[in-house]
Amino acid sequence: MKSISQLTDFYYKELYPTLQELENDRKKIKKRVIYVGIIYLLFVTLIGLAIYKQLSLDILFLFAVFILAGMKFIYSYFVDEYSVDFKNKIIAPLINEIDNNLDYSPHLHIPTAEFNRSKLFSDRPDRVSGNDYVHGKIDDIPILFSDFYAEKKHTNSRNKESWEKIFQGLFIISEFPKNFHAQTIVLPDSAQKFFGNLIGNWLQANNFSRDELVKMDNSEFEKEFVVYSTDQIEARYILTPRLMQKLLSYKKRVKHPLYISFIGGKIYMAIEYNNDMFEPAIFRSLLEYKIAMDYIQTLHLAIGVVEELKLNQKLWSKI
Amino acid sequence: MSTPLIILIVVAIILILMYNSLVAKKNQVDNIFATIDTQLKKRYDLIPNLVASVSKYMEHEKSILEDITKLRSQANKPNLSQKEKIELDSKVSNALGSIMIAVENYPDLKANENVMHLQHSLNEVEDQIAAARRAYNQAVTDYNNALEMIPTNFMANAMGYLPKDLFVIPENQRKNINVRELFNQ
Repeated sequence: MKSISQLTDFYYKELYPTLQELENDRKKIKKRVIYVGIIYLLFVTLIGLAIYKQLSLDILFLFAVFILAGMKFIYSYFVDEYSVDFKNKIIAPLINEIDNNLDYSPHLHIPTAEFNRSKLFSDRPDRVSGNDYVHGKIDDIPILFSDFYAEKKHTNSRNKESWEKIFQGLFIISEFPKNFHAQTIVLPDSAQKFFGNLIGNWLQANNFSRDELVKMDNSEFEKEFVVYSTDQIEARYILTPRLMQKLLSYKKRVKHPLYISFIGGKIYMAIEYNNDMFEPAIFRSLLEYKIAMDYIQTLHLAIGVVEELKLNQKLWSKI
Repeated sequence: MSTPLIILIVVAIILILMYNSLVAKKNQVDNIFATIDTQLKKRYDLIPNLVASVSKYMEHEKSILEDITKLRSQANKPNLSQKEKIELDSKVSNALGSIMIAVENYPDLKANENVMHLQHSLNEVEDQIAAARRAYNQAVTDYNNALEMIPTNFMANAMGYLPKDLFVIPENQRKNINVRELFNQ
């Protein structure tokens, strides 16, 4: 697989003409968004000033929500086309450069069934969305990932709906090279961090929505993660000392909460960015190093899972 | 209800909980040991096959092959204690390790499909045993902790529970094979 510096070279050399073209578009769109935005704001402020005395607080709140929705509409109206261009001309070639066996569909996301099958989040989503679906094979190992946004609906006693975020970030699915039957789930360790070892451990051991707690024999890993499994031995068969080490170093590179599960021969990973990845920024230049690195690093991280965790080293029994 | 009665009930509940948690910990150890036992058997079953396929080639290592055959027949004896099984396991692991290293010295053997397959099967079983050993050690640690920590230690004493031994994770599994050692043999 290509290294990050090779990809950065590709970004600034091969894609440079396209980048400049897009950069011009971006500046035009930025101007338009600002102009229209100001006019829109002036307009609604005038309306607001004219009527705010006759309105109750509830309706005023609703009015504010409408204004925000309008802003969002204006923004996406101008940016959508640019965003499609950006994805086809920048993200797609980048993915192709990393590995040309990968397919990229900007508008699709991973199947919701896979998200549910991962058991990473105990709430089932009522509404999902996502984009930037990448799928294909790396070293003959199937991998798929995409941006994913899952929400749960709550209805209160007054029949008011509200949506609670379950997960937003990158969701990666690949094949695991060992045969196993149990379900093993590795979650970020929050209880031990907040309450210390003794109470944290007790809370984790008595988490009724999860399977049995598995205490791992790597203290650094234990500090970062908590492991639940239906089988104490198989959990350790999967999480060998070497894989724990690899997951730890992967976690350090990710720098965001990392959820991992091993179910039905597959490995599921959810990286909680709380952000829609691979979207163009209108108010910042595409040529900016930090912006470029963001795209490259995230792609490299997701596609690099196979190599980094050595998922491509199949065991004899699985060939 | 009178106060003494309430205190009595609370104490009884605490005692029952302590008793049950100790029994659960002991059973967890035994359960995991049973799994290790079946996996060890799986490995012992592979040994005659391995010995048969390598003995034609290995003239200098006859003594290791004899040793491992002996160890296997020892392991097949009934009524071995957990401690004896643990000791036998580490000896067999060592002997198998040295056979695997010796195989590297015989190009014919290394290329032999049967030996290759056996090697992979053994590696797979070895991986499973390694996982089971780690699970066992954790269960034993939990059990031994309960035996020594207040307040369960009093209860354990009364129940006659004794601390159990941990598996020693073999040294040769922790470090990678040293290439120079291979040439010096």
